[in-house]
Amino acid sequence: MELQLGLALPCSNPTSKAFDLNYYGFEANKKEVDHVIGPCYTPSYEDINDIINIDNNNKRSFGQAFENSTRDRVVPRTLPLLLWNNNQPNEEDDPKDLENHSLFAANKNVGDGDGVVGWPPIKSWRKRLCHENQVDRAWNNNQMVENGYVCGGRRASNSMYVKVKMEGVVIARKVDLSQHHSFETLTDTLMDMFRKWSEACEKNSNNYKLIYQDREGDWLFAQDVPWRTFIRSVQRLKLLKSSD
Amino acid sequence: MLTMMNYFPDEVLEHVFDFVTSHRDRNAVSLVCKLWYNVERFRRQQVFIGNCYAISPERLIARFPGVKALTLKGKPHFADFNLVPHDWGGYVQPWIEALARSRIGLEELRLKRMVVSDESLDVLSRSFTNFKSLVLVSCEGFTTDGLAAIAANCRFLRELDLQENEIEEKKNHWLCCFPDSCTSLVSLNFACLKEINLAALERLVARNPNLKGLKLNRAVPLEALQRILMRAPQLVDLGTGSFVLDRDPDDFETYRKLRATILKCRSIRNLSGFLEAAPRCLPAIYPICLNLSYAAGINGSELIKLIRLCGKLQRLWILDCIGDEGLEVVASTCKDLQELRVFPCHPVGAGHAAVTETGLVAISSGCPKLNSLLYYCQQMTNAALIAVAKNCPNFIRFTLCLDPINPDPVTMQPLDEGFGAIVRSSKRLQRLSLSGLFTERVFLYIGMYAEQLEMLSIAFAGESDKGMLYVLNGCKKLRKLEIRDSSFGDMALLRDVGKYETMRSLWMSSCDVTLGGCKTVAKKMPRLNVEIINENDRMKFAHEDNQKVEKMYLYRTLVGPREDAPEFVWTLEKLLFTPGGLLEDQ
Repeated sequence: MELQLGLALPCSNPTSKAFDLNYYGFEANKKEVDHVIGPCYTPSYEDINDIINIDNNNKRSFGQAFENSTRDRVVPRTLPLLLWNNNQPNEEDDPKDLENHSLFAANKNVGDGDGVVGWPPIKSWRKRLCHENQVDRAWNNNQMVENGYVCGGRRASNSMYVKVKMEGVVIARKVDLSQHHSFETLTDTLMDMFRKWSEACEKNSNNYKLIYQDREGDWLFAQDVPWRTFIRSVQRLKLLKSSD
Repeated sequence: MLTMMNYFPDEVLEHVFDFVTSHRDRNAVSLVCKLWYNVERFRRQQVFIGNCYAISPERLIARFPGVKALTLKGKPHFADFNLVPHDWGGYVQPWIEALARSRIGLEELRLKRMVVSDESLDVLSRSFTNFKSLVLVSCEGFTTDGLAAIAANCRFLRELDLQENEIEEKKNHWLCCFPDSCTSLVSLNFACLKEINLAALERLVARNPNLKGLKLNRAVPLEALQRILMRAPQLVDLGTGSFVLDRDPDDFETYRKLRATILKCRSIRNLSGFLEAAPRCLPAIYPICLNLSYAAGINGSELIKLIRLCGKLQRLWILDCIGDEGLEVVASTCKDLQELRVFPCHPVGAGHAAVTETGLVAISSGCPKLNSLLYYCQQMTNAALIAVAKNCPNFIRFTLCLDPINPDPVTMQPLDEGFGAIVRSSKRLQRLSLSGLFTERVFLYIGMYAEQLEMLSIAFAGESDKGMLYVLNGCKKLRKLEIRDSSFGDMALLRDVGKYETMRSLWMSSCDVTLGGCKTVAKKMPRLNVEIINENDRMKFAHEDNQKVEKMYLYRTLVGPREDAPEFVWTLEKLLFTPGGLLEDQ
């Protein structure tokens, strides 16, 4: 059983001498079959047997089979359509990158190119840093606008809405944290938001404490942490009546 | 001449040899004759071991009993990109134990890509009374407990430099473990940690007046940086932490204080960090810029303003958000630039192409002294590379990271001519990384012209084995060859196995070499370790020799197969020459 998956690459100039397979005495050989399957594809044990049998049976190789059409045409190496990214032990990458099936293409219009293991060759810590910085920069809009370059990236969006609940108020609200850079402005906005719902009580921000739920699910006092830490891990907010 | 030299007392030879400092020169000296070998070996203080499995600690100690400074490297380079499994090896423990047992007067230890445990650090800290300098680069396996041991026990510690390590951070405040009597620090770098005890840091800086290098981490906000700089105006290397105001982004007072403090720091030549930077605070560092020779990390439009002031910059590491326009500013300002590294803002996946070949050409025409380049971009043209080669004939390192198999988008040609121009014009090129689309022709050029090439990285090379042969035959000084996802097979691997003993190592992953080919190398070359990293456990050793090997790493060694290889690493020598080894499954 021959597997002939291949992602064709942009066709090169047909008159290009550099690619003339005969120019350098390139011999199309049975290795071509394996080329088609691709280097990154880890076939099953059974597949290995099949491939070996193919060689032994002297079936036509890819090059031979398509000789006529490829002679005058540039044939860049094809790549597998599917790459099996085996779960490497102790993978350092962000879990999102550990997709089992990833589409790899030289075509740069492919968006979520999680692609080949270890490519592009960037150290893990730098990838993580880039990711964190993307998320941070989404909340520093002024920098982005100045540059004319949207650093938001495909993972972070510019707005960041989280649910807010005030103790004693039935209806929860949502607030866009990307509009804020400090606790003062945030609490002012929140108090304004809830003022309508409880006209009777005195809505002074001193009467309420802001707590937030972080990524691990813990509830923490917002004022105890620096803004940066807060903004990076906040999942939702609550305003609690303070006891004093 | 030789007889005359024999009449010199050894002391004279010793004195002369002391002036010979580079490792290679000392190695050459030791090969002249037995007398010189013996004189040299007792005097050698700095030893460099590029592959920790090429030699054993016992043999190191036997030959160089006076070693004071040791550099060890462990995992292969591609471990940086997750191609090497975590527990492949590279443990420093046996080295530290052996050195401690032999009462070597170790003072400096520099490790790269090694596995370091807390226990190793503890033993290290207790065994060498004069220990002065610990540099860990891309290492892993330890926690801040290990750092605490170093801080507590190394009384004369001058340097603790942690670069890009994976460190588990415990709740301890390891910085507090530096005793009050610790006043000898010259360089401290903990940028790779996530947390730090600010109070302990400030006290430490205050009592170490000789501190010249300080690289902070993200947990140090601007307010703390200002206080630290007040205590250490003598700094030469500064890595800022997080260059944002923690409490109140409108705090002008702190900004004003920072600015005033920085004016007093007249010695800063190297600036890095800026993992996040509040744009309005950056002007505080403008005064430093005039003398800055190294800068890393600042991004965005603020960077441009900064760069315009950095006329003396020699090394620049930035993210590609700077764009081609930003690179043009660099080109017009930084005439002394020697090293440029442009990293991608969005590492995973295609998308916004922030820098292109235009930026690179601009740099090359503005900065003719450029000798080291690392450039991530999505496209490159032959014309651009040819222009770069013409403008900058001094490259020592040239690493281009393009999308694999991307041809020149204008002509749709492979990039052979472009890379060929680089190797032809930069006669001192030592390190080269190829990417994009190329054919055998590029290897022909490399083999012909890259006479000084020591390290070559190849990814996604198609075509036949000839390419690899051109390189192996042509590059006489080749030390490290690493190849991934390329169609080189047994024919190339086996053509000249003797070559591998002249090199440090060869890595081939996702290529076409087979188990049989690797076994042949192992049989013919007993002084190579041929390791097969086999994570697909369905591959059986005793199975067909024409199975392709997932990952092969071979390296020369004087001490045979290593004993600490994990189950999924097969050292072929061991399996071939052990009774029953051929038949037993791994």
